[in-house]
Amino acid sequence: MKALVVYCHPCEESFNAAVRDTAIRTLEDNGHEVRLLDLYKEGFNPVMSAEERRCYNDKDCNIDPVADQLELIRWADMLVFVYPTWWFGLPAMLKGWLDRVWIPHETFQLPEGKGPLKGCMENVKKIAIVTTCGATWLQSKVVGEPGRKTIARGLRYLCCPNCNTLYLAHYKMDASTPQSRKGFLAKVERKLAHL
Amino acid sequence: MRILVLFAHPVETSFQAALYRTVCDELKGAGHEVDALDLYAENFDPRLTREERMDYHDLSKNQTNVAAYVERVQAAEAMVIVTPVWNFGYPAILKGFFDRVFLPGVSFEMVAGKVKPKLKNIRKLAVVTTYGGSFWRAFLVGDPPRRIAKRFLRATFSLATPVAYLAHYDMNRSTDASRTAFLGKVAHRMAHF
Repeated sequence: MKALVVYCHPCEESFNAAVRDTAIRTLEDNGHEVRLLDLYKEGFNPVMSAEERRCYNDKDCNIDPVADQLELIRWADMLVFVYPTWWFGLPAMLKGWLDRVWIPHETFQLPEGKGPLKGCMENVKKIAIVTTCGATWLQSKVVGEPGRKTIARGLRYLCCPNCNTLYLAHYKMDASTPQSRKGFLAKVERKLAHL
Repeated sequence: MRILVLFAHPVETSFQAALYRTVCDELKGAGHEVDALDLYAENFDPRLTREERMDYHDLSKNQTNVAAYVERVQAAEAMVIVTPVWNFGYPAILKGFFDRVFLPGVSFEMVAGKVKPKLKNIRKLAVVTTYGGSFWRAFLVGDPPRRIAKRFLRATFSLATPVAYLAHYDMNRSTDASRTAFLGKVAHRMAHF
């Protein structure tokens, strides 16, 4: 399958970079074709401008600012997100990528009159989320895991109707040990190998 | 009260901009001191940088790039957030405000490995927001922005902080009547904030 790894962390020496490398290696070893989108390295601008917002619903101009990004997500059969969870959600950089790239007419159709919104990204059949949380598992559950839901429910709705999702999180990062991090990388490898 | 009003929409002619004006006017009319923070107008960059991430836990350095915003948050006695919901979350420019400004030493401190909230100066919170999708669709997704307001932000200030969550759902099918009614409701709530 064609896998797009969407990676979002500002520091090359971070644990998230190690997770990214493990994910790419595992996917490649299992015969997938992998492309990497490194949002910080690309200098992606997550802020939707006034002009872009005015064009948002207009299919004649809403593609222009993000055409290359759209091509990437249309190419993919599988999306693999690697990012740190900050304040229970996606980093602003990644949130802005969703806002700017997943636009109407291209990734979903608004209903005419009554009826639900319809997703157009049927090429995406699998979504994996690999993240690190400062919070504990229980704290994350109590707050309701907003970041996880934004992708695994909100974004998934625009993809293939029976799109599979996988969620892997290393909790309590501030208290992590070399052992816990190593264990997590091994888990990422195991799970992604069977995706 | 001194109230920090955070606003996160780029278009001046939008319904959101009308909500923002109504919120500021009504709060001022009720005798509050309003600190209006329009994130787009101030060109706020929501990207936590490499340098900021490296210094994140260094209390002597971590506020350097955002000192002015930290001051405004610390000076507030209440907060009102006016924002659209995009993709079941806050726009990046608002999410990044929390990522970059709610730092160790500002919104929380680590005491014996535990997070202790620190923004006790903020005694009330209101969120005024609009969703493209319906209430039920947001409910099925788990309504992340509502949870961020009612659980995360409340916990950051104090669990006793009252949170008013005013939302107009289903904006894609809104009418003049529904928007006028919502503006009226927001005006009323702000006049009695």
